[in-house]
Amino acid sequence: MEKTNKMASADLLMGIFLIIFGIITIRASLNMKVYKTFLDAPGFFPFILGIIFIFLGSIMTFSSFRRKGYQQIMSNLNKFNVTHLFQNIQFRRVMTLIFLMVIYIFVLIDRIDFTLATALYLFFTLYYLKSASLVKIIFISVITAFLITAFFTRFFRIPLP
Amino acid sequence: MLDSFLHQADMFFHAFSAQLYLTNILVLAGATFMGIIVGAIPGLTATMALALLINLSYGMQFDLAISFLLGVYVGAIMGGCYSAIMVNIPGTPAAAATAIDGFILAKKGEGGLAIGAGVISSFFGMLVSIACLIFFTPFVYKIALKFGQWEYFLLAVFGVMICGNLSTGKDPVKGWVVGFLGFFTAMIGLDKVYAYPRFTFGLLQLKGGISLIPALIGVFGISEILIVLEQEVPYKILGKVTKVIPSWKTIRSLIPTAIRSGIIGVGIGAVPGAGEDVGAWVAYDVGKRSSKQGEKFGTGCLEGVAAAETANNAVIGGAMIPLLTLAVPGSPPAAMFLAAIWLHGVQPGPMLPIEHPGFLFEVAISLLIATFFMLIWGLIIAKPVASLLKLRREILMPLILPLTVIGAYAGGVRVFDIKVTFFFGILGYILRKLDYPMAPLVLGIILGPLADISFRQALMQSRGSLIPLLGRPVGIVLMIAIGLIAYSGFRRTIEYTRKHAQLNIETMSEGK
Repeated sequence: MEKTNKMASADLLMGIFLIIFGIITIRASLNMKVYKTFLDAPGFFPFILGIIFIFLGSIMTFSSFRRKGYQQIMSNLNKFNVTHLFQNIQFRRVMTLIFLMVIYIFVLIDRIDFTLATALYLFFTLYYLKSASLVKIIFISVITAFLITAFFTRFFRIPLP
Repeated sequence: MLDSFLHQADMFFHAFSAQLYLTNILVLAGATFMGIIVGAIPGLTATMALALLINLSYGMQFDLAISFLLGVYVGAIMGGCYSAIMVNIPGTPAAAATAIDGFILAKKGEGGLAIGAGVISSFFGMLVSIACLIFFTPFVYKIALKFGQWEYFLLAVFGVMICGNLSTGKDPVKGWVVGFLGFFTAMIGLDKVYAYPRFTFGLLQLKGGISLIPALIGVFGISEILIVLEQEVPYKILGKVTKVIPSWKTIRSLIPTAIRSGIIGVGIGAVPGAGEDVGAWVAYDVGKRSSKQGEKFGTGCLEGVAAAETANNAVIGGAMIPLLTLAVPGSPPAAMFLAAIWLHGVQPGPMLPIEHPGFLFEVAISLLIATFFMLIWGLIIAKPVASLLKLRREILMPLILPLTVIGAYAGGVRVFDIKVTFFFGILGYILRKLDYPMAPLVLGIILGPLADISFRQALMQSRGSLIPLLGRPVGIVLMIAIGLIAYSGFRRTIEYTRKHAQLNIETMSEGK
């Protein structure tokens, strides 16, 4: 039941997002260059998609209003507490995992050697997840990073970042 | 008719002899084995198996790469049954229906027998689907040749609509939303007609568009890593694998179920985007209603395992029919396969039999050989795989990220593609948490360019009027189908809204 309520509020936000997104898409498509006629212009199909987004967004908004999505959002806003959010173990876990992925993909890869980047990512992720003992984590991280690199570069001759 | 049949038979045997060489057989044996292992591990779906192992196909010759990917696909779908039966966690969503009876059998100490029945049923399912693939595909090619631009546009819309309808349990609008978001994603980059940049925000890297494989790997790979790791769910093997091969009498009793479920699986597989999980559930439901032992379904019945397992493997052959004839994948793993063969320079569609005359038969033969390996490996490695299931997901899932990174990078050798994968991974995670299905998104990305170009060209050919387009027979059929899907989908959405509006009022009045 709680999930249904959450979905009603999430659907309302998504519905509003889709309507705004549809309007932006239509605006952007109308600003695209018309070569011969609008029917074969680059903006024609995005224009149709914009209309579809507004239509589907309106249905979602209407449906979530009927399911008391608005009241749910207001009630959640009153109860909203950033401290509670960060105390949620699941939220913290996902955010930390995403943070480690961001460091690996946007900071380490292409700046340092792929094997080293992978070993570092694996070490910190496995350590955070308490996957095994420290010695085992170091062993798994280093061996996996070397094996992946060797397997793809030597055996399959695939370039690595 | 007879000439056509003889010609098909001749092509089949020619392809058979061409495919029977040692390297190909070894590749198929290895690929099926790897597919089974990946598919058996909870959290690693068949799509993920293809996404991860596609890396290995980059360095292979074209024929071997195709065999490799098909072997992985066949093995992964079957592999899901091990963990479904032994741990009650389906290795792939396709094996969810298998868990109902399989796990009860495992608790009774008959897990080995359930696995054996599952493997043998998967084998039957594959045989039925390969026969249908060979028999029906040439006919669909002939129909596909009658498709004009307007029909291709309608087909793309039909694909996204039906996929959205089937992949969401309660609210089809959510499926359609992600399907059309997939269409939008496909619009990013240079327009195919005038090379005009659309939604590129001045970024040079976006002018080439969003590459399909990085997006697919993100949506299915990274989102899966986050979904699995967000909760610590320890599990352990509950039963031991004892006798695996069922008696001949048991096998014979499963044949009617296997044939029925095989045909259902092929039919569901041919529907764009429906997938192996839908096929297994429908076959299980039909089996429960039509079998003499229907009342035993759900209580630990081998027929229940057979119904689900036959159908999910039979979907593979079914999914190949629209893929090869119309370039429309029948399931998410088939979408991954389509992306891979595009990468290897093959363009499926009605021209495929002319451009690559033997391709259909090469696919069928590879599937057939992989099917035999699936049977052999499936029965041999049942016990060791049950031990492998003890591997903790907290160790396994982080190891997958570097593989997804390589998968995203290796196709185009662009670091930007890794960032695309990450973005789609986060997007996929958020959408999955909000109950949005992923299959329509993928289908939308694949079919978006087709819908765009076909619609514009159809309207240009008819000088901007829809009237000449409305009288075309194939188009009429597709328009009626789209209308019916929209009608049934909106009805379900209205029912869902009504039901939950009432429930929410009750909950709020109770002050919860």
